[in-house]
Amino acid sequence: MQKTFQNARSALPYILPALLLILSFVFLPMILNVYYSLFRWNAFSVERDFVGWEYYVRLFRDPVFYTAVKNNSLYAVISIVVQVGGGLVIAAILEDRLIRRWQSLFRTIFFIPSVISIAVVGLLWQLLYNPDIGLVNGALQMLGQNEWVHAWLGDSKTAIFAVIAVSQWQFTGYMVMLFLIAMHKIPEDLYESSMIDGANRIQTFFKITIPQIKEMILVGTMITVIGAFKVFDEVYVMTFGGPGRSTEVLGTMLYRAAFRNDEMGYASTIATVIFAITFALSLLQMKWSRSGQEG
Amino acid sequence: MTLQNKVYRTVIWVWFLLYSLWILYPLLWLVMNGLKSNSEFFLDTWSLPKQWLWQNYLAAWDAGIGQYFFNSILVTLVSVVLILLLGSMAAYGLSRFRFKGVDALLLIILSGLMLAPQVSLISLYKILQTIGLYNTYWALIVPYVAFQLPFAIFLMRSYFLSIPRELEESACMDGCNTWGIYLHIILPMGRPILASAALLTGMSIWNEFMFAMVFVEDTSLRTIPVGLMNLRSQLNTNFGVQLAGLTIAALPMIIAFVLFQRQFVRGLTAGSVKG
Amino acid sequence: MMKGNKKIALIATLLFSLVAGGCASSTSAPGETASESGKDGQVELKFLHKWPQPEYYPYFEEVVKDFESQNPTIKIKMEAVADEPMKDKLRVVMGGGSVPDITFSWSGEFARKFVRSGAAMDLTPYLEEDPTWKASFIPASLQPFASDGKQYGIPLRFNGKFFVYNKDIFAKHQLEKPKTWDEFLELLDKLKAAGETPIILGNQSPWAAIHYLTGLNQKMVSAEVLAKDYDPKSGQFTDPGYIKAMEYLKALQDGKYFNENVNSNSHDMATQLFYAGKGAMIYLELEEFPTVEKSLPGKWDFFELPDIPDGKGNPNYITGAPDGFIVSAKSQHPKEAIAFLKFLTNKANAEKMVKQLGWPSPIDGATNPNTALKQVAEGVEVMKSAEGMAQWLDTDVHAKVADVYLSNIQLLLDGTKSPEEIMKEVQAVAEEVKQEVEQ
Repeated sequence: MQKTFQNARSALPYILPALLLILSFVFLPMILNVYYSLFRWNAFSVERDFVGWEYYVRLFRDPVFYTAVKNNSLYAVISIVVQVGGGLVIAAILEDRLIRRWQSLFRTIFFIPSVISIAVVGLLWQLLYNPDIGLVNGALQMLGQNEWVHAWLGDSKTAIFAVIAVSQWQFTGYMVMLFLIAMHKIPEDLYESSMIDGANRIQTFFKITIPQIKEMILVGTMITVIGAFKVFDEVYVMTFGGPGRSTEVLGTMLYRAAFRNDEMGYASTIATVIFAITFALSLLQMKWSRSGQEG
Repeated sequence: MTLQNKVYRTVIWVWFLLYSLWILYPLLWLVMNGLKSNSEFFLDTWSLPKQWLWQNYLAAWDAGIGQYFFNSILVTLVSVVLILLLGSMAAYGLSRFRFKGVDALLLIILSGLMLAPQVSLISLYKILQTIGLYNTYWALIVPYVAFQLPFAIFLMRSYFLSIPRELEESACMDGCNTWGIYLHIILPMGRPILASAALLTGMSIWNEFMFAMVFVEDTSLRTIPVGLMNLRSQLNTNFGVQLAGLTIAALPMIIAFVLFQRQFVRGLTAGSVKG
Repeated sequence: MMKGNKKIALIATLLFSLVAGGCASSTSAPGETASESGKDGQVELKFLHKWPQPEYYPYFEEVVKDFESQNPTIKIKMEAVADEPMKDKLRVVMGGGSVPDITFSWSGEFARKFVRSGAAMDLTPYLEEDPTWKASFIPASLQPFASDGKQYGIPLRFNGKFFVYNKDIFAKHQLEKPKTWDEFLELLDKLKAAGETPIILGNQSPWAAIHYLTGLNQKMVSAEVLAKDYDPKSGQFTDPGYIKAMEYLKALQDGKYFNENVNSNSHDMATQLFYAGKGAMIYLELEEFPTVEKSLPGKWDFFELPDIPDGKGNPNYITGAPDGFIVSAKSQHPKEAIAFLKFLTNKANAEKMVKQLGWPSPIDGATNPNTALKQVAEGVEVMKSAEGMAQWLDTDVHAKVADVYLSNIQLLLDGTKSPEEIMKEVQAVAEEVKQEVEQ
């Protein structure tokens, strides 16, 4: 019996179907993509002109690319602060004995937006942000903050923040849930002994909670950062990169190149760069997580 | 209770109630305005509808949401079944067998977690056209399964590792093969994580937007998220119906989650990476 | 034991049913056209248009049904997607395997792109073959679908852009239709002084402001220069008229003649606000006239974009374009496709379209006071007497040039960029396009 479990041949039938699917529909397209980025081609003509690295040169000279990278980075930074940072604090509070009775109610409410499709959320918030009929300005007016009333999505200075805010609305609860799940596994006596030592809530949070769920925090950060560079739906639905190009992210830039400007090669170039960025970020995070484990 | 605790508790309650309001009110607004007529929506967005136009929901359903709904259910269901089947098999293979190269295989599969789907958009589009799957349900199902598998395998493997091996050994006294162990031990024991994986992958498939927009072109094959965009330009003169459509699209997942959230949390607590 | 087997059986059944279902729904293999001869000599034509709206779709259903009953060997498989998704879909469709035999297309560069890549069929021989068919069109409606002397598209409807105004508001302040730009500005000032919103604009999707610029470009730049610049092979956009055109548009914004927040209101919302009486004017297409009549019965009228005296363009042009259909070069049944297009554009169906949908028809005489709303018939008369058409800027120039215009027009209105800065970008991208097209 044990012998069969040492045998690659008996293991492969289980692994192969999944592996083949992943190889041919996740990895192969990625490699092909690099190849496609060396040609000028569009979706409806048969010809393909070899252009070499031309598109890469053009991309690094394209000011929109830098707008997009800046917006993706803003996305990442704000999401880490609000979703990971805020989510952590909220989760810790929900685990507190004074509130815990209500935990399942609140975590359910907070999680609800993350089960709704981003397309729905985007269309909904587009209306909520509308300066004439939307709730956002209405609420501000009600609070007497008239100077805050603003065309949030219509102004190129505020649009990207308005879009990012929607993501925070949607996904903070998801992070809360992840952290709660990790916190459920912290042994109760750790908290008790910390209480006996006279530590207050804040001290307990930093001394017990955070070190105990360190790994989940890293997973959460990774999901958030990579997610920030993958972002597409909400921008496509709410602003499609506008006004002007002020909310362009790498994802919409890629879509615009491919399906609006008929430059599949350029789109593939952008895709390759997205891959490079997300890959580098994951490597970096894995390295941190490893050194964190050792330390 | 000390005074400090009372203050603390009050502050937290106020905060959480405001946060809940911030989440629930827009959703309530959505449901409410889905019942209004166009002019009422424009002139009186805040109040309750004067006339409850339930026919808005019917109109949205007839305008295509019904078909999109069916497509979404079909695509999500088949994808999830495939993910559970292939994923649990792979997770079993990767957690129970020790052989040369097993770590490398695991690494390859898990690195699929890091790839952004956009990267593959253009070439997948090409591939799907070449193999003739483009513009069929399979054009969505196959990429969805491939892209969700790494995550599902990651979840299931760590759970399967926690299933004690003694169970298998005692079960196999009377001789059974690896397939039997998979069917009679691993699958039944792993039910909680299968449920959680189904919910998580099902959620992201139900809501997926980019592939759904590019890989099918027939309106009759569209899933809900993309269908809603169609509906927006199609019913550009009737906002009530549009909002009703959004409500219909959002509701099933909310209901499923609220009903199953306890099991969902339990499965993940038992299965996820140790905290 | 039983349980496991049952599960597998269930999965197997599911998978099996899906394979069957999946195959049934895949319309065709790649590399072939969608239309294939059926078993009994039946021909299937795939027909794609952009009117899925419940108000419009039934008309096409009826025409298709009539056609099928008259031509029992031809079956039409009709599909419709709305305006915005259409732009994405056409690209995908043209690259994909199942190219519809008859496809909706805007006129101008949008159609020429398919011509350049060899996706659109040359329809000239079919029109030459049937002179009466050709003569039934108002000539100005065919020309925008021509390229290098060949005809690639058949127009379905004629569209023009006009200022629609609320008669009540005009009467209240004793105002009249303006003829020149100066009169127009005076009118706007009076409206503003009286506390009205002079013009409602919803520019969340920037084509709305681009339609203003379409007319302004035409008025400011001479026809020859415009034709040269809009052609991807020779576009330069160095004429100072382009900057002036943008300045005119910006002056409307700076003068606060538009509503607030133009960039965050959609066109649909803008029209709703206009119908609710919240503004004096709105820039609308002819095809929207029936909805105006429904919402403001008898209380509205229209006028053309006023003349600009110092402009170099022909003052007798009108902003607008036909849209219609192209036939796929890959179609295996061009004859049947042409037969259907002929049927769709015969006088009876054209009149039916005008009557039922309120759209202006390019068929001479089909749009008349008996079939159409008074204003629509008048609009078509204006267009018939015009010496030419300024076609939508965003479909008349190369997609990349259009993209620069579209994304910058919002920034022009919110004051982030000046007309000079934007034209510099347009010139740069026109240069890029020129090189690519030449290669």
